[in-house]
Amino acid sequence: MRDVAVIGAGMIPFGRRDEDTLMDMLSFASLKAMDDAGLGDKSVDAVYVGNMGAGMLQRQSAIASSLADRLNLLPAAADTVENGPASGGSAVKNGLLAVASGYYDYVLVVGGEKMREVTGWRATDFVATMTHPQAEYPYGITLPGMAGMFTRLYMEKYGVTREHLLAVSLKNQEMGALNPFAHVEMALDRDGIFDSPHAIVNNPVSADPLHLYDLCPVSDGAAAIVICPLDMAKKLSKPPVLIAGFGQATDTHTLQERDDPTDLKAVTLATQQAFERAKLKPSDISVAELHDAFTILEIAESEHVGFFKKGEGGKAAAAGKTRFGGQIPINVSGGLKARGHPVGATGVAQIVDITFQLRHELPKNRQVKNAQTGLTVNFGGFGNNVLAFVLKRVEQ
Amino acid sequence: MKKEIAITAFKCKKCGRIHYPYHDRCLGCKHREFDKIKPEGNAKLLTYTVIFNLPWGFDQRFLVIGVAEFENHVKAMGQIKADSVDQLKVGMTVIPSWEPVRVQYGEDVYGLKFEPVE
Ligand SMILES: [Zn+2]
Repeated sequence: MRDVAVIGAGMIPFGRRDEDTLMDMLSFASLKAMDDAGLGDKSVDAVYVGNMGAGMLQRQSAIASSLADRLNLLPAAADTVENGPASGGSAVKNGLLAVASGYYDYVLVVGGEKMREVTGWRATDFVATMTHPQAEYPYGITLPGMAGMFTRLYMEKYGVTREHLLAVSLKNQEMGALNPFAHVEMALDRDGIFDSPHAIVNNPVSADPLHLYDLCPVSDGAAAIVICPLDMAKKLSKPPVLIAGFGQATDTHTLQERDDPTDLKAVTLATQQAFERAKLKPSDISVAELHDAFTILEIAESEHVGFFKKGEGGKAAAAGKTRFGGQIPINVSGGLKARGHPVGATGVAQIVDITFQLRHELPKNRQVKNAQTGLTVNFGGFGNNVLAFVLKRVEQ
Repeated sequence: MKKEIAITAFKCKKCGRIHYPYHDRCLGCKHREFDKIKPEGNAKLLTYTVIFNLPWGFDQRFLVIGVAEFENHVKAMGQIKADSVDQLKVGMTVIPSWEPVRVQYGEDVYGLKFEPVE
């Protein structure tokens, strides 16, 4: 197996992008990553596109072939990878394995989703199609609803409070306001969404006990990376970022069939695999991008990946340990909560953000000092398919 | 007339683990043969939520949904007959029934409903 590095990274601002088609967004992000890698007119051997909903939302299938055509990557191999909200991570994994195996040298991985094309009513249904078709979907359950039921159990078992969730929400939205690629561009005011009597109007219950600002927005967006063998990456102008470890694990489709529904086993297993392969441990990580589609998930994942003991994640967030400048900065990009969550894009966007961090090229107010290693967690379904990546700066 | 609860759960013939929904191999021991069982008795509420942003296909204002465990340990999701979550708590008894849970293509779709007991 060959060592594989990220040599190009790019994304377009997430948000509501009425003027762009899905293909526009995938193309724009791809060109940014290819230009960042300094590929010029050169092509790639293969392209992997992470996307969950083009068939349902745009009535368009086989988008990887379409992208190869638009970018004139012809005759590169092209595949679309669908794995729910972990489609982006799965696309990166496919690219990684293809290069590591020696089969391809230069691979483009792009993730994208255009969710605002349909009403919120339709988008909610689209995301809910990943629930169990007989045992869950007919009841009208949504992903926020699954998160609400999970939060209730987590609160009862570990004493997580709304105040802990609020800390995540405020932190990520504050950081998102500094990120030009983020969907949500304003910091939140604690008083307005929590303390004041108007808070119930500004921040109503969305999926009890979760409130509106515990949820990520519904976004359009795309992100891309170019990867190649580390040996070939050393001749390039920007410092390569090594994909030092990768892991993936699955769990039962429904929460109720897990022995302990608060135990996100797939997160633990995927992350352990990634750490083992990278020969690193949680305390070695400089900066992490976790899958905070709901504030509770950032807290639960921060425990399951090994940054904090079970039951300590909420308190750690409230104590500022996961803030920029804290013990382990989590979601400096703003996370899904503020960067946005165009489902197929997220797993790639997390790696783009960590790449920027490890190349030390972000503005001072977002650059984690001397960042050497990063962790990403891309969470599919309700934790039934999870991918983790450990990335490492390579000195030239 | 009360309709029968049209859920079938599957009890592993080798290790006894109860599954709902169906799996081709046991989640405990990978065995492939199961006895079909019906949920029995009342149920205990394991967790719940109320959602206000409903998916396409539902035109009410909110839905109260939860997961409950029957007396014979079958666990299943259902809609809860409650106007708010204030009247609910984890561990309380709910009475199951089989009723319309949504309308699709003009037809009622039946599913589990849980009625909280004071
Ligand atoms: Zn068994």
